[in-house]
Amino acid sequence: MTASPKPSIGAVLTAPIVWLARAADMPLRAWQRLTGRGGMIAFFLIPNMAVFGIFVIVPLVINFFYSVTGGTALFLSDRPFVGAEHFDRLLTCTDHFNPTTCREDMFWTAVWNTSKFVVLQVSAMTVVAMITALILNSKIPGKAFWRAVFFFPVLLSPVVVGLIWKWILQRQGLLNFALYELDMTQVNWLTERSWAFAATIGVSVWAHVGFYALILLAGLQAIPGDLYEAAEMDGTKPGRVFWRITLPLLYPNLLVVIVLSLIRAVQVFDEVFVLTSGGPGTATLYLTQYIYEVGFASVLRNPGLASAAALMMGGVLVVLTLLQLGLTRWRDRK
Amino acid sequence: MSVLRMMTARRGGKGWHWTDVFTWAWLIMGLIVMFGPALWLVLSSFKTPAALAEFPPTILPYAAQTVSVTIDGQVKDLPLFTTTLDDGTVRQLAEVRRLGTMATMVDPANPTDSVKVNIQNRTPVRQIAFATSNYVDPLEKNNFGLYLWNSVFVTTMATIITLLTNSMAAFALSKYDFRGRNAVMLLIVATLMVPLSVNLVPLYSVISQLGLLDTLWGVILPTVATPTGVFLLRQYMLTIPDELIEAARMDKASEWQIYWRIVLPLTGPALAVLAIFSVVWRWNDFLWPLIVLSRKEVFTLQVGLNTFAGELNVQWHYILAMTVATMIPVIIVFVFLQKFITSGIASTGLK
Amino acid sequence: MGRIRIENLRKNFGAHEVLKNINLDIGEGELAVFVGPSGCGKSTLLRQISGLDQPTSGHIFIDDKDVTGVSAADRGLAMVFQSYALYPHMTVLQNLTFGLQNMKMAKVEIDRRVADAARMLEIEPLLSRRPGQLSGGQRQRVAIGRAIVRDPTAFLLDEPLSNLDAELRVSMRAELAALHARLAATMIYVTHDQVEAMTLADRIVVLRAGKIEQVAAPIDLFDKPANRFVAGFIGAPSMNFLTVEEATPILPTAPAGTALVGVRPQHLDPAETGLDVTVSLVESLGTETVIHATLATGTRILATLPGHVRAKVGEHLKLGGDPARMHFFDGQDQRIG
Repeated sequence: MTASPKPSIGAVLTAPIVWLARAADMPLRAWQRLTGRGGMIAFFLIPNMAVFGIFVIVPLVINFFYSVTGGTALFLSDRPFVGAEHFDRLLTCTDHFNPTTCREDMFWTAVWNTSKFVVLQVSAMTVVAMITALILNSKIPGKAFWRAVFFFPVLLSPVVVGLIWKWILQRQGLLNFALYELDMTQVNWLTERSWAFAATIGVSVWAHVGFYALILLAGLQAIPGDLYEAAEMDGTKPGRVFWRITLPLLYPNLLVVIVLSLIRAVQVFDEVFVLTSGGPGTATLYLTQYIYEVGFASVLRNPGLASAAALMMGGVLVVLTLLQLGLTRWRDRK
Repeated sequence: MSVLRMMTARRGGKGWHWTDVFTWAWLIMGLIVMFGPALWLVLSSFKTPAALAEFPPTILPYAAQTVSVTIDGQVKDLPLFTTTLDDGTVRQLAEVRRLGTMATMVDPANPTDSVKVNIQNRTPVRQIAFATSNYVDPLEKNNFGLYLWNSVFVTTMATIITLLTNSMAAFALSKYDFRGRNAVMLLIVATLMVPLSVNLVPLYSVISQLGLLDTLWGVILPTVATPTGVFLLRQYMLTIPDELIEAARMDKASEWQIYWRIVLPLTGPALAVLAIFSVVWRWNDFLWPLIVLSRKEVFTLQVGLNTFAGELNVQWHYILAMTVATMIPVIIVFVFLQKFITSGIASTGLK
Repeated sequence: MGRIRIENLRKNFGAHEVLKNINLDIGEGELAVFVGPSGCGKSTLLRQISGLDQPTSGHIFIDDKDVTGVSAADRGLAMVFQSYALYPHMTVLQNLTFGLQNMKMAKVEIDRRVADAARMLEIEPLLSRRPGQLSGGQRQRVAIGRAIVRDPTAFLLDEPLSNLDAELRVSMRAELAALHARLAATMIYVTHDQVEAMTLADRIVVLRAGKIEQVAAPIDLFDKPANRFVAGFIGAPSMNFLTVEEATPILPTAPAGTALVGVRPQHLDPAETGLDVTVSLVESLGTETVIHATLATGTRILATLPGHVRAKVGEHLKLGGDPARMHFFDGQDQRIG
């Protein structure tokens, strides 16, 4: 008798799955005999499609119904038809640039806050990610370490990110201590309107820049090294190499990064909600939080209004996503 | 010496170019700004409430040293101070009580002999001490043990179901040619355009109709149909040659066997990437659990932590410790699977 | 103009010595080919000359000027890369002019040079296209054009034909030879293909493991290989090597000190007396027949015989040879005589 080899941990862990998969073969063979290959295709597709249908498609349809019905009830049959009333309420302003003149001033505050946030955050993010990627792509010792340094916040949960920075930015926090040591005036980072706004931008750049830097880094690494050598033989100055060779070749990736970060910035919620809860006042109230407040939290709960606002935001996202898909295809074809 | 040369010899030994200075300035700043906050969080999480309230803060966690003193027959733990007396001598005395700026101090060795000292003339005796109770207390008293279990459950179940359903769908969409395949693909692309934030309100009503409000399944199920997962796996499966499947059919394998004996094992690397990302996504999920869960018994760590941090009586020492605890699994995943994660992102743009 | 001299050049990658004390003098207008098995250091040597890499020690002179510390751009050389390294986002015209614009050359002069090069290489209709829209051969021409417009002191070509299919390679090879004749410029050409080396070179530099084994004109290399490595590397199929005892039937007396006798497969033919071999494989190529055979000692012998030869596997055959066309090597594998 020879001793049977010790099973590995992996084998032990996957044993139940293997056993289940094997047990499933008999009934599925019968099903296949009964319904042919078509039946098996259905079997493979249905679980995923069911989840898509129930949790994405059905809600999307309900979304449209909600947006044209009123009241606070969730059952569609309990909701009176109000037509375009919600859209009208959201869009009516004397002066669209001044939220206080709007029927739904909170919505327009959120719209303008989000717009400002998107523009500033995406530009800051692109510049920082670009510089970081260029530096990570140059000849530096300990590349893997530096990449990890810039990347690790990407994996942190928004709650963790929000709390870390809330702790650092609070009145008696580390940042104010640093200012105190430098003999500079201390700042109420999270309770002064413009500083709180700046903080949400800074924190979200901090949390996500590693992701975009990594995509750009992959793009940089895909540029063949001998192009740079050819440029060197051609006597090209470093600045000209960047503008005439690196940037044009990175351009497709850069566009993908910008659109991707636009899509994410429009939906900004988690870190900001934990960091400032939209405050002080409405200084950092962004669209998703508006939808959340109107849909669930506020005393003036109005699911129809929230749905209407969400659909408008969805429209913007559809355009951006189509743009992203088109750009990704274009880039991969190039 | 050789390290120093490697660090200083730039660009073929022609000295420091301004770009080298900029590169290193950027890297050092990056180290401080990116890594500093997390490090500060970890250090702070070991401080006592008193140490946290201090301004200026200390870098390492210190705690006041106490000493047992018997006063009037009672044993008390009193804080110890280095005290400068009026005659200029410096002694270590324990504080019995304090009134305004004056404190009554005793020598621990001779507790009957007390002196009054201005608090400006003394500094607390401190030692490095890790307040591990910051971690133990919330887990025991404040439900965090339960939150942890809920998060583990959600993460595990969601990941398993995601891998199973996504890989089955990806298999059907990559290895069979059937009528309506393009329609299905289009549907999946469409779901890509409807992020959670757009569907919040109606999804809530669907979950409520299904009776899944305030349950962990209500958190799990809507997240498992990630279109990105199906795309990633399908893309990978397309690279598996169809001849393999035809060969298996010649060997009388059933379609189900082709899926789990042939295609699934060959999709290993893509499954691993999806599994890692799914774990990180589900562990970090916040907005959806926040909406579905309102009873403390079913809170996940993220929701529990946020609620705890939002309570009127902000207990930073517990919050910081639990933030570290929430962060640890993700950091472990990152340290061990960094290669997988970074190459996964670089090749698929997954996040 | 265009003399390149290399003195005591060494290159280390970490502890690994890639180039070991290279000394070489390439004359003006000469086409020198670096050839050797992969990893022999031929491309590394070219990169030292180009200035893309810095040698660990030693000196490089161009026209008696020490350029060792001079940057690649300022050495006045042009390089054709194995992958062509055309800028994919620029048109052919922009690819040709990019380097000239870097030199701040007058526009009139740029136009003249590009027009000349485009005419010479017959790429005029392609000027507005991008590299992605060109065939392999067209890309190759553009890459050469980019080198020509710079009017360099010398051309450096790094395996320029290796990405082309066999047929195109033969015609491009002929064009390169014609181009060299026309430009009369110094060229250094790296390849692992001995046919390219033999057909193109004025002189061949054979490298092995970072050392120069022999520098000679192609025919001298074939007729008088300096050592066993060169003898085996140049010529196809490879030269047969026999011990003195094994060679006795065709070589009554070997020169003093001979350890190994080399006979090219082309220099063996059937004879009444000679090497007694057993045929193991017959390859009929039409114009010639390659016989694979073994001696009684087990040593494998190749013989290339003209035309059709009727031979069967297992058959015994006698192969004779002319001692005057044999090569003799001593115990250190060096040539005798």
